[in-house]
Amino acid sequence: MRKIVDKPEVLAPAGNLEKLKMAIRYGADAVYIGGQAYGLRSRAGNFTEDEMREGVDFAHTRGAKVYVAANMVTHEGDAAGAGRFFKTLRDIGIDAVIISDPALITTCFISAPGLPIHLSTQASATNYKTLEFWKKVGLERVVLAREVGIEEIREMRRHTDIEIEAFIHGAMCIAYSGRCTLSNHMVNRDANRGGCAQSCRWKYDLFEIDGNSARSLIPEDAEPFSMSAVDLSMLHHIPDMIEAGVNSLKIEGRMKSIHYVSTVSNVYRKVVDAYCVDPDHFVFDPAWEEEIWKVAQRDLSTGFYYGVPTEKEQLFGKPRKIPKYTFAAQVLSYDPETKIATLQQRNNFGLGEEVEFYGPGFVRFKQTVRDLWNENGEPIDRAPNPMMTVTMTVDHPVEPYYLMRKK
Amino acid sequence: MIKITATAESPEQARALLDVGADTLYVGGHPFGLRLPRALGLDEIKEITLLAHRQGKKVNVAVNGLLHNEQVEQLPDYLQRLAEINADAVTMGDPGAILTLQELDLDLPYIYDAGTLVTSAEQIAFWIDHGAIGAVAARELTLSELKEMQSKLNQPVEVLVYGPTCIHQSGRPLVTNYYRYAGMSERTDKDRGLYLRDPKNPDSQYPIFEDEEGTHIFSQDLSLMPVLQDLYDNGLHTWKLDGVLLHGEAFVQIVRLFAEAREALEAGNFVPAALCNRLQSIQPQSRSLGTGFYLKDPKDIN
Ligand code: SF4
Repeated sequence: MRKIVDKPEVLAPAGNLEKLKMAIRYGADAVYIGGQAYGLRSRAGNFTEDEMREGVDFAHTRGAKVYVAANMVTHEGDAAGAGRFFKTLRDIGIDAVIISDPALITTCFISAPGLPIHLSTQASATNYKTLEFWKKVGLERVVLAREVGIEEIREMRRHTDIEIEAFIHGAMCIAYSGRCTLSNHMVNRDANRGGCAQSCRWKYDLFEIDGNSARSLIPEDAEPFSMSAVDLSMLHHIPDMIEAGVNSLKIEGRMKSIHYVSTVSNVYRKVVDAYCVDPDHFVFDPAWEEEIWKVAQRDLSTGFYYGVPTEKEQLFGKPRKIPKYTFAAQVLSYDPETKIATLQQRNNFGLGEEVEFYGPGFVRFKQTVRDLWNENGEPIDRAPNPMMTVTMTVDHPVEPYYLMRKK
Repeated sequence: MIKITATAESPEQARALLDVGADTLYVGGHPFGLRLPRALGLDEIKEITLLAHRQGKKVNVAVNGLLHNEQVEQLPDYLQRLAEINADAVTMGDPGAILTLQELDLDLPYIYDAGTLVTSAEQIAFWIDHGAIGAVAARELTLSELKEMQSKLNQPVEVLVYGPTCIHQSGRPLVTNYYRYAGMSERTDKDRGLYLRDPKNPDSQYPIFEDEEGTHIFSQDLSLMPVLQDLYDNGLHTWKLDGVLLHGEAFVQIVRLFAEAREALEAGNFVPAALCNRLQSIQPQSRSLGTGFYLKDPKDIN
């Protein structure tokens, strides 16, 4: 029986230490985070040195890796101090840095030899020759542009053995990454230095100029022009990604919640394992898709992997309503004798509600909240306070770090 | 010495541009060049190169696309042909194209041009280490940044002094997709003259078109005529004029004005007002001119 031993890595985003730990508990082989500088997600909750140390420790004891995104496109003066930054990352034990700016690549080579470098998707690597170029420069891995197709990846793999990382899930820039400065020009915010204001998702008039006056082309009953992409999901095509030779399957979203990161990591972990253990008898389980939709924020598509996206892969007007689930609680402990779970509240819930528990390894079950006690063991109807500790009876065993969601 | 590089859309226009004072003509074609006034074939590029060389002037060819595998396959042949017709240089921004050029070992240097990504001297130094003879600066830079960049480099930093600047390239046919959604049938090409407006900014006007490379959106037309003295004093002597959205004689006349400005600067008697007014009278009335990022304070951009 065929088996894939050299499994691709499931790479998850981690906006903070708690998310880093959750992503790894829920199956990520590696996480990427932001440092205090040189990243593109100034608002994504970036890690201090101490947090990185703790994160690396946590990851390494579980055989996982931690990468730091330093994918800013620097201007004059921005790169001062970068050498010290990279050296610190290396000394902390960070497994690689993700860079697009060649000035930062040079600095990293000089100041932190031995720290592996991955080329960021911001550099828009779209052909095998580009991969070869970066390999010669000494990079370990290239994150592909989102504009390449599966066939193109296969072709790249035939030409070069540098590690290939590709996006499999999450929100997408509608431009070639790095090649959009709409926000620079419209609101003085530099998209390539973390300032993107998502100007592509705004509504625009589309017009022509007739003599000296503008004439709108937007039909009366149509939504305005917009450039908003639906999100990417390669859930149904993980076998294609693996067979094409992708080494790292990347999930987007350093701004995303614990609920999101744990769910998406859990699902892709499951799919990759299911395929690799017996690729020739792989069957897609609809439960995986059901699970992914619980954290979807937009419609999902396969991006450029199977052809250039059409209007169906863009959002015009009101988006389709996707049933929303919220993260309601986290399991702190469980007593198998009494079947009582101790939970930390994360969102208001109460008696009579149908909730769902899920845990690493794609464990999940539905549960009605039949009873509820507060910290003092007094019965309560609802758990209204953020982070309050409550207990309730569950029908199936749970473990610490299982999470509870509700509709 | 100030050098003026101007796009050329045909051999006829090329001749006129050389006559009014362009030092270098910038041309190119599919499937390697991005956002050109016209995609030219190799025979036209050859004709233009002969014209320029006869006057001791130069021709640079755009090979600045984001290349996919398929284009990379065709690239060696194209570069060889460009070397045969004695093109003086190519512009490139794709590292795969750069590696291809290096491996061919032709007598054909390249100028690094990766649009929005060329924002510091240290970056350019990286590409100079990999063979570049110069670079085209991103349009999102301020004068003080450009000045600092050039002061650190011996190679010329090319600065756009006239023309629209691309602020968004998508691999998707964004206009076609909208038409399909809205049930319209309309052209989407460059000469259709389509614009976007951000309703929050009623004066805004962003040209948009589609071609084989996807969708391109542009900012307001740039003119650095009012600040040429600053550029000159700060060693920014390689000027680029882009006629991607302005055809024929109007563009030639604008290049002529910049050549006049150069003469005045070199003679030490540059007065921008009259030249700015003349430029305004040639510029299509429907498209206003601005100075882009040049006069902004880098601290105001975050
Ligand atoms: S505005 Fe949109 S397309 Fe441009 S950088 Fe931001 S997310 Fe990407």
